[in-house]
Amino acid sequence: MDKRIRQAFDQIQAGEALKEQTSAYLEQVRARGRSSAVRPWLAAAVACLVLMIAGIGGYQVYFTPTSVLSIEINPSVELGINRFDKVVTVQGYNEDGQALADSLDLRFLDYQQALEQLIASQSIANRLEQGEILSITVVGEDASQSSRLLAGARACTAGQENIQCGHGDVQILEEAHHAGLSMGKYQAFLALQALDPTVTPEAVYGLSMGEIQDWIARLEEKADSTAQTGQAGQTTHGNGQGHRHGWETHE
Amino acid sequence: MRGEEETDLAIRRYGDMVRRLCMIHLKHEADTQDIFQTVFLKYLLYQGEFESEEHEKAWMIRVTLNACKDLLRSFFRSRTVPLEELTNYAHQLTDDNREVLNAVLALPQKYRDVIYLHYYEGYTAPEIGRILGRKVNTVYTDLTRARERLRAMLGGDGDG
Repeated sequence: MDKRIRQAFDQIQAGEALKEQTSAYLEQVRARGRSSAVRPWLAAAVACLVLMIAGIGGYQVYFTPTSVLSIEINPSVELGINRFDKVVTVQGYNEDGQALADSLDLRFLDYQQALEQLIASQSIANRLEQGEILSITVVGEDASQSSRLLAGARACTAGQENIQCGHGDVQILEEAHHAGLSMGKYQAFLALQALDPTVTPEAVYGLSMGEIQDWIARLEEKADSTAQTGQAGQTTHGNGQGHRHGWETHE
Repeated sequence: MRGEEETDLAIRRYGDMVRRLCMIHLKHEADTQDIFQTVFLKYLLYQGEFESEEHEKAWMIRVTLNACKDLLRSFFRSRTVPLEELTNYAHQLTDDNREVLNAVLALPQKYRDVIYLHYYEGYTAPEIGRILGRKVNTVYTDLTRARERLRAMLGGDGDG
């Protein structure tokens, strides 16, 4: 049997495209690290570029968001990012979010600087310290910009365990706004609704991401135990809570 | 931050292993890509020193498994995981390969890890215990039970 298992796993390999993509992604992260050293020069170049664009009537191009970064913990904030990766709109999606948006001056910052400021802001930092989950969702029609923003968001939140980053769908963003929720919270709502179709957007409006996730975990547990009745030994491990183990804890 | 040469070497050296670990947990191409980026980003940013290649490999296994578990807990994962997705992984799978992998995927998650690490990577139970942070006796029990289940599904050939 061990030979059959070895042979079967031998067939599963990482394709060259996957390796190259990952390599390119790491290079992007490294380049971001290097670029911080030449930022004054870059800032001047960007300023010139902005003037040039403004000069040739590109005002709209600069001020039109091409992607959205939805930041959700309980303050819900969405940053509109233009094609130059600058923040051009800041929108709070609940009271806390609006207060946070008003307290920071994020417009025209690079999206990574804006993210760093948001994460360092007291209302978010306090919640992260309390173990709340922060989700960052990138939505945009330009796939290469979305990948770039997601990579950048991951890079600047790499040391934080309670932060999840992912892609979102443009259509779902529209639905989210229609429901009066930010993208991150709406995605959580959809995950919840898949488990309990009676849940409405209003029910999650005032909840934090951690509270919604707990709700989902409870429903999943319930569904699992129903599905596994009679299947002894089919339960999985303790839901990831105990997986940071010894030997080497820096991960 | 590690250099390009170092990370490229790690991708070449551990890429297949990371992919196999992703396969036994995620089964989706997009999720695998996510985990790949996450794992090697952590490697890029990891500031500690590895005492040996074995140490580095064990670190990779642990980080990959943790990243898979984190993804499974997050809202961004694909929530449907049909076993048929296996076909996306390798078109050249023989019927026997597919039967074996489907049997492994049908095992509970904790059994899949020990089966892969023992049968494919050649780790002993104490080594698996150290890597996964589980008691050695638990690993022995898991291995025995996983083997029994696999034999029941695949038909044993008595190799212990």
